[in-house]
Parts: sequence; C-alpha cells; structure tokens
Amino acid sequence: MVKFILRRMLVMIPQLFLLSLIIFVLAKQMPGDAVTGAFMGNPNVTPEQVEKIREQYGLNDPWYVQYGAWVGKAVKGDLGQSYTHKQPVTSLLAGRVANTITLSLFVLIVSYAVAIPLGIIAGRWSDTWVDKLIVTYNYFSFATPLFVFALLMLFVFGFILGWFPTGGSVDIRIESGTFAQFMSKLHHLVLPGLSGALLATFGTIQYLRNDIIDTKLKDFVKTARSKGVPEGKVYTRHILRNSLLPIAAFLGYEITGLIGGSIFLETIFSYPGLGQLFIQSITGRDFTVVTAIVMISGAAVIVGTMLSDVILSAIDPRIRIE
Amino acid sequence: MKKRSFMLLASLMLVLSVFLAACNGDDSADGGKDKDKGKDKGKDNEKTEQGSGENAADIDFPLSVSNDAEAMEDGEMTVAMVAGEPFEGTLNRNFYSGTYDAEILSFFDEGLLDTDGDYLITNEGAATYELSEDNKTLTLKIKDGVKWHDGEPVKTSDLLYSYQLLGHPDYAGNRYDFMIENVVGMPEYHEGKTKEISGIEIIDDQEMKFTFTEATPSILSGFWSYATPRHHVGDIMTGETTIKDLESSDKIRVNPIGFGPYKIDKIVPGESVLYSRNDDYWRGKPALKSIVQKVVSPATIVESIKKGDVDIATIPADQYETVKDVDNIELLAQVDYAYTYIGFKQGKWDAAKKENVTDPDAKMASKELRQAMWYAMDNATIGEKLYHGLRFPATSLIIPVFESFHDKSVEGRMFDPEKAKQLLDDAGFEDKDGDGFREDQNGEKLVINFASMSGGETAEPIAKAYMQNWADIGLKVELVDGRLHDFNAFYDMVENDDPKIDIYQGAWGTGSDPDPSGLYGRTASFNYTRYTSEKNDELLKAGTSEKAFDLEYRKDIYNQWQELMYEDVPVAPTVYRYALEAANKRVVNYSIEPGTESDRYKWGVAE
Repeated sequence: MVKFILRRMLVMIPQLFLLSLIIFVLAKQMPGDAVTGAFMGNPNVTPEQVEKIREQYGLNDPWYVQYGAWVGKAVKGDLGQSYTHKQPVTSLLAGRVANTITLSLFVLIVSYAVAIPLGIIAGRWSDTWVDKLIVTYNYFSFATPLFVFALLMLFVFGFILGWFPTGGSVDIRIESGTFAQFMSKLHHLVLPGLSGALLATFGTIQYLRNDIIDTKLKDFVKTARSKGVPEGKVYTRHILRNSLLPIAAFLGYEITGLIGGSIFLETIFSYPGLGQLFIQSITGRDFTVVTAIVMISGAAVIVGTMLSDVILSAIDPRIRIE
Repeated sequence: MKKRSFMLLASLMLVLSVFLAACNGDDSADGGKDKDKGKDKGKDNEKTEQGSGENAADIDFPLSVSNDAEAMEDGEMTVAMVAGEPFEGTLNRNFYSGTYDAEILSFFDEGLLDTDGDYLITNEGAATYELSEDNKTLTLKIKDGVKWHDGEPVKTSDLLYSYQLLGHPDYAGNRYDFMIENVVGMPEYHEGKTKEISGIEIIDDQEMKFTFTEATPSILSGFWSYATPRHHVGDIMTGETTIKDLESSDKIRVNPIGFGPYKIDKIVPGESVLYSRNDDYWRGKPALKSIVQKVVSPATIVESIKKGDVDIATIPADQYETVKDVDNIELLAQVDYAYTYIGFKQGKWDAAKKENVTDPDAKMASKELRQAMWYAMDNATIGEKLYHGLRFPATSLIIPVFESFHDKSVEGRMFDPEKAKQLLDDAGFEDKDGDGFREDQNGEKLVINFASMSGGETAEPIAKAYMQNWADIGLKVELVDGRLHDFNAFYDMVENDDPKIDIYQGAWGTGSDPDPSGLYGRTASFNYTRYTSEKNDELLKAGTSEKAFDLEYRKDIYNQWQELMYEDVPVAPTVYRYALEAANKRVVNYSIEPGTESDRYKWGVAE
C-alpha cells in the first residue's frame, strides 16, 4: 500500500507540471495583462511609465521565459508577486485558503450528516411515503441551481427571519481568539454551509438507497434473516457495512466538487475565499494568482482522486492496483 | 484512473471558466482617480446640480441627509462597501489601486491640504500653502497639533517620504505622473542618478518648499499632499526596508496608521474593517465612537439597508427601482465624476514619436459622419429605460460637476435622426445600391465595426440600441467579432489601435483636474481615438499655461475647447450618471456634496 501511495505521488509530479504548463500558456493567451486598463484613472501617467512597470514585472518577456522563471521560483515555494494585491501570492492565498477549506469541510460534513441517514431510511423503507419524500427532495436538490438556492436561503433565513448573518466570515466586533469569536465564525458558516450541503447530497443518497435496495435482496441477507437475526441487526451488521464503504471511497471525488461549488457560495455570501479571489484575478489578469489557484485546485483534484483510489483498494480486495 | 482524474480536472476548469465572462461592467472603466480629497465646508442641503437645463434627468435628489437631530454620544455606524469581491487591503495612498481601498483610506488618512468644491487646494486642511509670485514654488506649513495615530507629530519629512517613494526607481504603482515629475530634480531621482530630490527643501519639521519645473494651474488641483508615516512603515532611504517589502508589509496591510478622524482597530482581510475614534484628531473629537465598514454584495445591498444592517451604502443604478420605496432610508445622489462616450478611431499611436497620428483617410475621418452618429443616438431613452433616469444625455466633455468649467451653452447633440440623415446626405453618404444602408462618399460599401464591453445587465441592450439607432439612419454598424469583449480584452484592442475597431464605447473617470490634455492631447496615449488638431493643441496648452492661473481666462479657454470638441466630435459623449447613495434615516451630518469630505468627523447617528 505504501508503495502504491508513493507511486501515485510520483505520478502527481508530472501531472502538476503539465497542468501548470497548460494553465500558464492559456492564461497568457488571454488578451491584455494586469497593467492593461490599470491606469485608466490617471491620464497623467506616460506610456513609458506603463512600459517600465510591464518591464519590472517581466510582462514583456516571451511566455517560456516567464514560465521558466515561474517554475524556478515555484519549486522553492515562491509563487510570485500579485500585481493587483501587491503582495506575495503565498501570503495572499494563505488568508483565503483557510476560509475555503473551512467552508468546504463544513459542506462535506453536513452533507454526509444529512445524506447518509436519508439514504438509509429511503433504502430500508423503500416505496413507502417516507422514501418518496426523500426521493423527491433528492431530485429537487439535483435540479436546483446552487446560486438560486443559496440566494433563497439567504433571503429567507438571513433577511426575513434574521437568524443568520448575511455576509462575511466573522463579526469584526468580537475579540480575536475567544470562544465567542469561534461561535461567531460558526454562525457565519451555517448559512453558506447549509446552502452548499443540502444540494450536495444527491449522489450519496441516490447511491446509498439503490445499494441498500440491492443488498436487501442478496442471498447473505436472506440467510441472515432466515437464521432469525432481528431486522435492525440485519441492517446494521450486514447491509450497511456493505453499502457504506463505497461511499467512503467517493470522498476524494466529493472534495474536488466542493471547490467549484465554493465559488458560488463565496460570491453570494461575501465570504472571502479562493473562489472569489479566482474570479477577481481572472478579470484583472493577475496571472500569478490565477496560476497559483488553478494549481491548488488541480492538486486538490489529484490528491482527492488518489485518496479515493487508496480507500477503494483498501476496502475492496478485488481492486488492487499494481 | 489517471484518465479519470484528468476528466474531473477538465470539468472543474470548465466550471471555473464560466465566470470569465461575467464580471466586468462598463463602470469599471471609470477608473479610481482620487475622488477622496478633502473639501471645504458649507453648502449643505443644496440640491444636486442638474447638468444642463432641459437635458438633465428630472430626478431631484438631496446631497445631504435631512435629519438634523443631535448626534448621539458614542454611536456606532455601519458603512457598506458595495462590492462583489473582497477588498485588496493595500492601505497606503502611494500604493493602493482599488476603489474599495480608497474608501477605507478616507476614514483614517487624509491629505495635508484640503480642496474645495472645484478641487482646488485651500488653506483649510492640516497644512497651509503659499505659492510664490512666479507660481513655481509652493511653501507648505503643517499646523500645530497634527499627529499620527500613534501620537507622533506629522512632519515635513513624512510628506517628503511620499515623494521619495513615488519617484523611486523601483516604484511600480500608478502615481508617478506628471504632477510628481514636475518637481525639480525628480526625473534625476527617478532614474536613480541621485538620492536627493533637489526641488524639495525641508526647512524644519513643519515647513517645507516644493519647486516645480513648470508653472501650471494643475498644481492647485493635482498637488500630492499625502504624507507617509516614515517612522511607522520603515525607511527605504536608509535601507531599513524596500519598496517591495513595504507594499506587502503588515504596517500598511494589518495595522496602518494615518492622521484622519478614525483609527483602524482591526481588519478582517477582504471583508471588514473596524475603526475607533481618534480622540486627538486635529479638527476636533469625531462624533462616532466606532465604525464598522464591511463588504456587502450588490445583490443583497438593498435588503441589508432595508433591514438596518448598514447605515450608508452606494446603490447600483440597476437597484434603484427596488430601493426607492424603502421607507427607513433617504436617497442622496450627485452627478458622478465620469461620462460614457463613443470614440471614433481616426488614426494610430506612433510609438517612436510618442504621439498620436491622425489618418485623414480613416473610415471615421468624416466629421459629418461622426456628427450624424451622435445625433442618431437616443441617449435620453437609454438613460430612462435602462438606468431608470439615473443617467442622462451628456453634452460636453467637461462634466457639470466642474461648475466653473462646464460650458452650459454647449447643448450637445440630442436625438435627431432627421438631422443626422440630412448631414449624411449632404456629405455624400448615400444608399447607392438600394440595400437600405448607405455607402461611403466614394460609393464603396460602408460597414462600421463597433467594440463594446461586456458586463452588467445593460451592456448588451445598450450596444444593440445604438446599433439600431444607427441602422435607422442607414448606417451599417456591426459588433467587432460579433460579440462584446471583457474589460481587459476590450482595452487591449483599443489601446493597441486594433484595425478591427472603427468605433467603441468607453467611459472616463474625470479625476479632479479639469485639464483634458491627458485624454485628448497630441502626446496623450489615452487619446484612444488618435484625434489631433492644431487648434486642439493650442487650447490645451493655453489651459494649463501660467496665464491660466487666472480663472476667467482658463474658463474661456475651456469653453472654446468644448466648442471645438462639439464641432469635431473625436468622441461623442453619451451619458452622465448619478451616483446614488442610501443613508438610514438615523444618520446625521452626512453629505456627499463635493467640498464636505473633511466633515467626515461630524458624521453621526441619532436615536
């Protein structure tokens, strides 16, 4: 297993390298650069000034020179300087990554907390009215666009009922490092988190329900029943053990989906994270930041799928990757 | 398995790229020239300047809140930064670029010199100035008791430090401009030849002298008087820090100081700022105990202000309909420092000569054609229908906010398709092949390529409306590449004189100096239409000459210039805009009147 993980890690390096190359070239293909339009407000700046700034940031070099310089620094952990934010990309990202990870984790945990019981209930009592209700919810969550749902949540629970804050990640009036601040952060997290989580349940519920219905009819379950094992135990001991494991294996893939979803959530709830920064940087042609964020998301995808592979091969002896 | 991860990656990137197209409004072209300068007092409760007579919209907004109750002791106010994204947090006048950073700066930092309603510097601020007989030397004296938030006095060497930063060879911001370079010795310092700026002389901690190469009235509106706390941020001159370290340092991002009415207590990066009262503020004790300023999305701003979550907020024009009937607020508005325009490409930028070269054979070279296109645009309807009356037809290139310089006698070209057709007929643009569209003067097919920016709900309908307007007078106008372009792509093409573009729609923020030579001069790279003329050169030069220190003379010159622009139409100004603000009814002493910026310390809330 260790060997497998190590091998996967080794494969990751060329993957990331290739990814960075593609992203870099694509980013440079976008018309304009960070300096384009940046001086619109000050007609007293001369074209030489603008050129000088392009020169200072190396924006006039051919792309392979820029890419070389970027890679050279990136391997040392220096992702360059953001033109727009005027600070090193690493420190810029550090502040945002924490928010995005917190939000994503919250979404992940809540979505499992909702989806697993619902999936089990729907599977166990399939074709009853409870099941139909859950299936209806499930298709609703599948079909509803995240941004519509999030806005609805915001208006109902944020503005009309006033139960939750409507923007930001923390109340600035509360002293840093206190328990109250932690609670405030949690309070700010609930609404965006729930909005994301309630729509992220589709795959899990669907899979779990179908798998349980499937397993119910399997021979070993029938055997257990005929031996007189109580119905509750049949589910906990025999069926769930079988059906839940694959869910765990999909954890890695879930992670990759969360990053995309966080862009919507962060924008709607004014929650400063990577997603918002990403949009801002693309429109501002802040290439160093764009590249860094894509690299991070790319790495998350690669690590996520690796995680899934590892869990899968650990729980299912039939899958053994050599 | 590997294949799968790439598929996932590809689809993830697809999701991300959806946002590429969605984020730039034409408003982003307004630029962020410092609108946040100090102002003089008075003129409260005047009504908004209505542009020029009958052409203006018939909306009448106050400039100040009507609540005249006493401000409550130790109140707290919440101010919204209406933004779809986090603020950048470069909280230093020399380095910031975002308009949201500017909003934060204006609470805790101010210029040493105040300016009045015409943006001319006055002696009301933290320092006084005196200009020498020849208008080339400015003596600045800092008043007693002006202190940084950490209690240190504001010294002349702090203002010198700003110039040392702005002129430094490593400086990569956008404020090393003509006004900085105009200080004697600055070019040498900027090239790294010397460490002294010979034109700045420190007499003592409170008095200093600036000597300029050129005497120009622009000094009175463009003089840089923002000091930098040298002792707080560290000194680049002694090698204590470098420009690069300074830009990203905690001293300007986490705990910046100024000498404004409020101190920064805490910043949640990108999201909110908490201020507390600066009891030592030189103008007197500010009214509020604390202020919370936070980012609120434009999508939820109306709900937030309705609910009372925020006290003051700018309102996007497209939200006007939903906000106008909210009853716990008062709407204020003034004509914004910006105008939108259609530019007619008439030449190219000559990079070697560093000047604009007009091409007499350009497709848009005909003055009558340009005039006709202006007559054909129904700006009043666009302002009414798409902006709910918050934009109204523009008349001249010097906006009405510059009361002394805006020529009210220039009426612009109001919607008159018949006149447009007549002009085209007379100039020889006729439909010879009967396809419903006019050919050019030589009988060749005429297709005018129009570039416009994407973003905002109104971008597309406006472009379509203009194209329909022009089609109605027989001009075939097509979108470049058949679509709208995003901000950077658009300006990349416009700046580089992409031959695909004949006309384009842009917007200018006008800044605080009425001098238009930075946008329309022969050597101005921002003169994107590449229009030049002798008369234009003459007038622009006269407008900033020494003689122009005489207000009447300068006014006359700019009136002539506005006439010339009206006649030659290098660009057709389309609309002026109202900047709309909402204030909760409990807010007192709040005004957006130009010239009242320095009253910020009086803002308060009543119960």
